[in-house]
Amino acid sequence: MDFPDSMSMEEAFALAEAEAKLNAALAESKARFENAVIPDRLNEDWRFGRPHKYARELAELLQSNTPCTGSAEVQGCDEEAVIINADDDDLKQTEMLMPTIGSDALLGLHLKRFGNGYALYLEKSYDSPIIINYRSSGLYTPSTFIMAAPGVHAHIIENIHCENGATIFAARNIQVAEGAKLKVELHAFCPGVEQVQGRCMVITNVQNMGGEVRHLTNFLNLDWAREETVAEIYAEGSDTQLYSSNTPLEHMVLDQHTRQVHHVGKAVSNLLYKNVLEDKTTATFAGNIYVAPGAHNTDAYQSNRNLMISEYATVNSLPGLEILADKVRCSHGSASGPMDEEQLFYLLSRGIPRHEAHQLIALGFVEEVDNKFNAPF
Amino acid sequence: MSLVIKNLHARVKDGAPILNGINLEIPKGEVHAIMGPNGSGKSTLSKVLCGHPDYEVTAGSAEMDGQDLFAMSVDERSRAGLFLAFQYPVEVPGVTNANFMRAALQARLPKGEELEAVAFYKELRGKMKELGIDPKFTARAVNEGFSGGEKKRNDILQMMMLNPSYAILDETDSGLDVDALRIVSDGVNAMRAPFRSFMVITHYKRLLDYIRPDVVHVLYNGQIVKTAGFELVDHIEQHGFDFLKTEEL
Repeated sequence: MDFPDSMSMEEAFALAEAEAKLNAALAESKARFENAVIPDRLNEDWRFGRPHKYARELAELLQSNTPCTGSAEVQGCDEEAVIINADDDDLKQTEMLMPTIGSDALLGLHLKRFGNGYALYLEKSYDSPIIINYRSSGLYTPSTFIMAAPGVHAHIIENIHCENGATIFAARNIQVAEGAKLKVELHAFCPGVEQVQGRCMVITNVQNMGGEVRHLTNFLNLDWAREETVAEIYAEGSDTQLYSSNTPLEHMVLDQHTRQVHHVGKAVSNLLYKNVLEDKTTATFAGNIYVAPGAHNTDAYQSNRNLMISEYATVNSLPGLEILADKVRCSHGSASGPMDEEQLFYLLSRGIPRHEAHQLIALGFVEEVDNKFNAPF
Repeated sequence: MSLVIKNLHARVKDGAPILNGINLEIPKGEVHAIMGPNGSGKSTLSKVLCGHPDYEVTAGSAEMDGQDLFAMSVDERSRAGLFLAFQYPVEVPGVTNANFMRAALQARLPKGEELEAVAFYKELRGKMKELGIDPKFTARAVNEGFSGGEKKRNDILQMMMLNPSYAILDETDSGLDVDALRIVSDGVNAMRAPFRSFMVITHYKRLLDYIRPDVVHVLYNGQIVKTAGFELVDHIEQHGFDFLKTEEL
């Protein structure tokens, strides 16, 4: 390693130490990809996730000769803030270090198919939303990197269009510096169809270094959607909010896994995932709050609520806590059930037809989260 | 033109019978009060007429202007002109009062016709003012976080907006303070008309002092056991319902 002449001895040591750590982490990561196996029934993080079907088929597709094709566009952002470079080693390294929730082998395959995407280095605030669109009607593996500099305020809307039964596997890394305030929405959907189709898997790593971040997800009209979101809190005073609102239809399988990792104390994280299940849909939520040793005065909450409109819908809700520090305030909650009969009767008694009454109650159920999408942050 | 109930028997689904042969006719333009001790079947009567799924009609009939109520679904009964002001109005989280009312009114329009939004809001705001309801309540979720009195006023607001032919008020006075009771009663009285009738269920004379009934019925053990004029209200106020156990009915 070459050091500039102007660098002090201490700075040079610090830089060398950081580089050594990075190299060690990369080596470790390389090993995890080499040793990882395609998720199967024995993988606890794929419990209820039908790995024999979805993980295996995704892996086979990534390992096949099927080309990865898709278009990416960004709007509302200065050109100098955007870097698109599929060969960028720094970006690949960043992706290599991303944690997954049971899908190391799949992320390893994603890295081999590292394609296009966007890296947004936000060094100034933006009043209007920055919109990223990824589109494909085949196999597509976009990558998104968002880095908000200290004090920057921004709102990102990321749309993943799974057209005509596409399979899109996205990796996302979001870094929020001290004092930054970032709202990031993800909408993954199959546009303009009457039947659900398309598959989408999204692995996200949110790293909060002392800012405020609101991360929101919505999956719509898809045959299968899997979300793995790991929010890591690295600085005191960080505020991390995770929300999701979904209305799966037909036979959609929605498989959501989250981790709120508090590496340090005196930080807040809050998660609320709400789903309205219709038809023969299945929703799985497995969340975990991890509080590292010494991360005292952590304040973390996690809640999963499901409204089951159809008696054929299935819900698996697995909230969890792993607390290794004292003096923390952590709680979790889960509730799934059918529509409240008294609420329904109340609406019917005002002449609102049953179908519209169902819709109103369902919209009302997710309104709490939908407001987080719509409200300014 | 009237609400005619004949020999109505009903029970909680798979449970004990509660209504044991009710006969009652409420002609258009009249206000009938239903009084009776706790557990006599007053609220059950109102819910059975509106089609609450917890109850099962085992015999008898109910017709509203010649239409068989029990042949209609809950929402059809409402659109045909029946209204129930609930004893305990239900909270509907996430659904604003405005959207709720719009959906109810939209359902009454012919297919393809859209509710005129400006006129709707104007009417809603006007009626809210009459009932002393804060205009901000249009954007609040239906009854969520409302006090008992606010919920009752909200039900009366719905009644005023939906303009029913037959309105059942189930203990609307409970939970209302003196001022709210007067405001709500004024709202009901303003709706009295030859083309509308009311069934007012209450325990107390104070409501009937405001909403003066034409006929008073006493419901006991699931049957109408006494029917008279307002003097019956005074009698109950003075002597309670003990006379039901001793007096030959």
